[in-house]
Amino acid sequence: MLILSERACRKPKVFLSLAGLISLVIVIMVALPSLWPGSFSLLHSIRIDTDPENMLNAEEPVRVTHNSLRHEYNLHDMLVVGVVNKSHPQGVFNQATLARVYQLTTYAQSLTWQENGEQKGVISVDLIAPSSVDNIEQAGLGSIRFEWLMARPPQSEAESLSIADKAYKIPFLKDTLVSSDRKALALYIPISEKKVSYRVATLLREKIDSFEGDDEFYITGLPVAQDQFGVEMFQQMAISAPAAMALIFLLMWLFFRNLKLIISPMIVALVSVIMTMGLLIITGHTVHIMSSMIPIFIMPIAVLDAVHILSDFFDRYPQSKNRYQALREVMEELSSPMLYTSLTTSIGFSSLALTPIPPVQVFGLFVGVGVLIAWVLTITLVPAYIMLMPESSLKGFGMVQHEGQDVHPSLLARLLFALGKGTYQHAKLILVAVLALVGVAYYGIQKIQINDNPVKWFAPSHEIRIADNALNERFAGTYMAYLSLRAIDEKITKQQAINKLLEGLASLDQRVAVEITNKVSALSTQSWGYGEILLQLQRFASEQADQAVADADWEAWDQAVSYLQAQQQDKEVFKNPELLSYISQLQQYLLSTGLVGKSNSLTDIVKTVHRELLLGESSAFRVPDTSAAVAQTLMTYQGSHRPQDLWHFVTPDYRKTNLWIQLKSGDNQDMRRLVTAVDQYLVENPPPLALAHDWFGLTYINMVWQDKMVTGMMKAFLGSFVIVLAMMAFLFRSFWWGLLSMVPLTVTIALTYGLIGIIGKDYDMPVAVLSSLSLGLAVDYAIHFLARARELRKRYASWEETVLVVYGEPARAITRNIIVIGCGFLPLLAAPLVPYQTVGFFISTILLLAGAATLLLLPALIRLFEHVLFKNITKAERGI
Amino acid sequence: MFISQIKARLIGMLLVIFFTGSAWSIDVSEIVSKANNVSYYQGEDGRAKVHMSIFDAQERERNRDFTILRRDMSNVVDGEQKFFVYFTRPSDVSKTVFLVWKKLGQDDDRWLYLPALDLVKRIAASDERTSFVGSHFFYEDVSGRAIDEDEHELLEQSQNYYVIKSTPKNANLVEFAYYKNWIHRETFIPVKTEYYDKNNMLYRIYSALKVEEVDGFQTVTQSRMSDSRIGGYTEMSYSEVKYNVGLADELFSERYLRNPPRRELR
Repeated sequence: MLILSERACRKPKVFLSLAGLISLVIVIMVALPSLWPGSFSLLHSIRIDTDPENMLNAEEPVRVTHNSLRHEYNLHDMLVVGVVNKSHPQGVFNQATLARVYQLTTYAQSLTWQENGEQKGVISVDLIAPSSVDNIEQAGLGSIRFEWLMARPPQSEAESLSIADKAYKIPFLKDTLVSSDRKALALYIPISEKKVSYRVATLLREKIDSFEGDDEFYITGLPVAQDQFGVEMFQQMAISAPAAMALIFLLMWLFFRNLKLIISPMIVALVSVIMTMGLLIITGHTVHIMSSMIPIFIMPIAVLDAVHILSDFFDRYPQSKNRYQALREVMEELSSPMLYTSLTTSIGFSSLALTPIPPVQVFGLFVGVGVLIAWVLTITLVPAYIMLMPESSLKGFGMVQHEGQDVHPSLLARLLFALGKGTYQHAKLILVAVLALVGVAYYGIQKIQINDNPVKWFAPSHEIRIADNALNERFAGTYMAYLSLRAIDEKITKQQAINKLLEGLASLDQRVAVEITNKVSALSTQSWGYGEILLQLQRFASEQADQAVADADWEAWDQAVSYLQAQQQDKEVFKNPELLSYISQLQQYLLSTGLVGKSNSLTDIVKTVHRELLLGESSAFRVPDTSAAVAQTLMTYQGSHRPQDLWHFVTPDYRKTNLWIQLKSGDNQDMRRLVTAVDQYLVENPPPLALAHDWFGLTYINMVWQDKMVTGMMKAFLGSFVIVLAMMAFLFRSFWWGLLSMVPLTVTIALTYGLIGIIGKDYDMPVAVLSSLSLGLAVDYAIHFLARARELRKRYASWEETVLVVYGEPARAITRNIIVIGCGFLPLLAAPLVPYQTVGFFISTILLLAGAATLLLLPALIRLFEHVLFKNITKAERGI
Repeated sequence: MFISQIKARLIGMLLVIFFTGSAWSIDVSEIVSKANNVSYYQGEDGRAKVHMSIFDAQERERNRDFTILRRDMSNVVDGEQKFFVYFTRPSDVSKTVFLVWKKLGQDDDRWLYLPALDLVKRIAASDERTSFVGSHFFYEDVSGRAIDEDEHELLEQSQNYYVIKSTPKNANLVEFAYYKNWIHRETFIPVKTEYYDKNNMLYRIYSALKVEEVDGFQTVTQSRMSDSRIGGYTEMSYSEVKYNVGLADELFSERYLRNPPRRELR
């Protein structure tokens, strides 16, 4: 590596132009297919992926179940549009507002388009809006009526109000379409796929902007939140990354006071980012929420080493006034620590490849690669750049202080000098204080809440968050989860089934029963299963009925056909009143958990139609007594404008049923609680028939990947901790030194997570990833500190003397690093996206803690364990 | 001179087309009326067994079997009619009955008998374009849409078909913007109907799949309705079709809902 730096010093132009050329090629390779898609089939264009669902592998069982059940029940992700009017006494249920809602609905229904032969956009038949759903009600004596809830914009205020009243009476619509105070309404707009949601939402917002009046429209729902996040994420990248760069630049200028010189770390950072992101795209990876953060992570790391070089150069140059000489010294001293810090950081991130989450794997690997790129660039380009600078621009550069001579040292130098002394004098105190802090951190870590919610990725003032609050205050909830129940096949043998069938024949005409029995005997010798035999029997009985001459014979055979069909329909368990009532109890329980705003089920449909069939009496709001009555109620229900609605709740074979659950909170924790509660309920209250259950829906999927990520991150972190420890032991050729170098990082992580627990910040995706960053950064400082401390110790008689030197240039380099990078990321705090704020805040915190742990704790520990750590040196001194 | 010759010839050709065209064409209302007659009014009454297969977008099949009885109330074409629809399969809806009294110029009367609840209900639907027992057919497709509810226009005549475009007089009552009908020139059987929405998108297609002669009447014995908005399609197969059975008017009354006329339904 030293050779590389030397070559770079000798042929600076070659290295700089080479870096420029490679960057240019990469930029072109990304730009060509992205700007002219289709023309460069061998190259990959930028592909953006903002779908958190992709946190899970496509083959992940949860996702497979999620997709297959969604397909089976014909469900789509939904945008929720809330309408609120605070000035009209009837709320939104006034003529003017409803006319606008009518317009908006018609407009939403038209938002479909063809893409590659597929229909994309809004699924208009499943849209839930006053003008697109049916009202079912009894219409006077002995009559039942199906009509559009709002067939046309209402013609009077009274008619407007009656729409609220009608919707309120239908359980499916209450708290879903109409708020419980009957003042607000919500439209549910299903879309073909999540990635059209931003487009649809934008078009809807444009339409809404054209409306007059004082209605408030709110658009939310997980798909729109996720898609919107993707869009804003990229806008944010364009603002945050340059802002961070600018601030880092400014801080470096404050330290080094040489504009030309400090451009070199900027070049290193920029080229590292271009190369890494370029490689990511060229290799065909999607730019996911995670990978969009790669630049933000690479920048500090890239600048870090460059600052070490500059800092050292700053201190050494004035001594020799010879660039080449000074650089040689700097690189000799730094090349080994820089290699190791880069390797450890790279390993820390690459360890994320062990997590079971594809985007995190990609993120980890590419930051790992990026760190190594940054290392190569730092040790070549920074020296090369310095060599190319005109000598005149280095005039007056550097710290005018020679070792031993105390001539006007800077404030920083004086502070560090004092600090160095302090660590020697108060080593025990420092240790006790750190132990106390770790104790507090331990308490904090106990309180960590593992939780995430994509809607909360937006700052509270963001329109998505405001919409989310406004709607969840008034309606049953904008977060959807689905609970699918399915009948488990009874395990009976073919013979048992046949025996049961034969027993039932007693109710039929005797002659017919005999003939069927004979037919059964004939059929059961075949290799057919019971189901096939039943079908054959039905065919046989139908034929017999058709051939019958006498009415009596026809009737007898017709009864047989009915009997055989009924046997088959026995499998249609979700027409069974007992089971439907059980679902109703389960729904009651769901409500009682306080986690669920509302649930909609097949039972609700049956009860509602049954009530309206029986004059709308509230006592008739129940499940009828027989499965035939249930079947007939449902057939009545299907005589509406939307017969397909039924199949969102049950499969046509009536073997699976689906509960649509509306949650007011999309927090994974709440979903987790619900899952646990339901598991427990199903065990404690076994259903009348054996049932299995599956969860699906976006809220559930989010919970699953979160769980996976947390455990995955934990394992990845522990794994890389061990690897880094081994590397450190190798670097220092000593287990104790290796262990010592892990101390700042361990303390940093303990304190960071303790802080997260104490301030009540949820442990979410960005936080989980930060543990890798702290592993990378904290160990960096420790390596620089210890490597140079050990080097210097050889020149001095004791640690007491050495410490003062260590707190010269080495400590200054570390401190400058902490300040430059720690402050450099503060602009992220101003981002409207919470993950960016989190990353900004915690990068700064981690750097501060890691720096403090390195500069305070390490010397204190060395002081206390000097005899163990410098055993060899002491021996050497004694001449053994 | 040359140009004027061409002109003259062109005019001549146009005149020929115009006159022969009008000589061949028959009045639109006559085509529509005949088609309506063939579809819903053949004989004085009729009965058929219908096997209905409903396939959803995922090709999942459900079946319904019913017997349909029809009686015309007058000899007037497009006159009032009564329908008695008796379900036999699946067994849990068997004996369910729909009774329809088709009226002119006003809403039809419809009754529903649900045997498991022993309940007779009148159905007061605001419109008749709601699903017929969960299938892709609407009530209106089963009992017929009154021809004076639409404006009809002859779009073209091919060798075999008249293509009629029908536009609703009151667009608010229906979900379609217009529909096109392909009516066979000889039999007047509508073999295909296409429904278009307000964006001119075709979304619903009726097709006659099989035509047979029964008792001297050309009869559609298999038909299909598909709807791309909800996906899937429904097929109806007619068997044991009979005309001029001699069905008594009293069968088509509320009294017979609970005690259906066995012999006629068999």
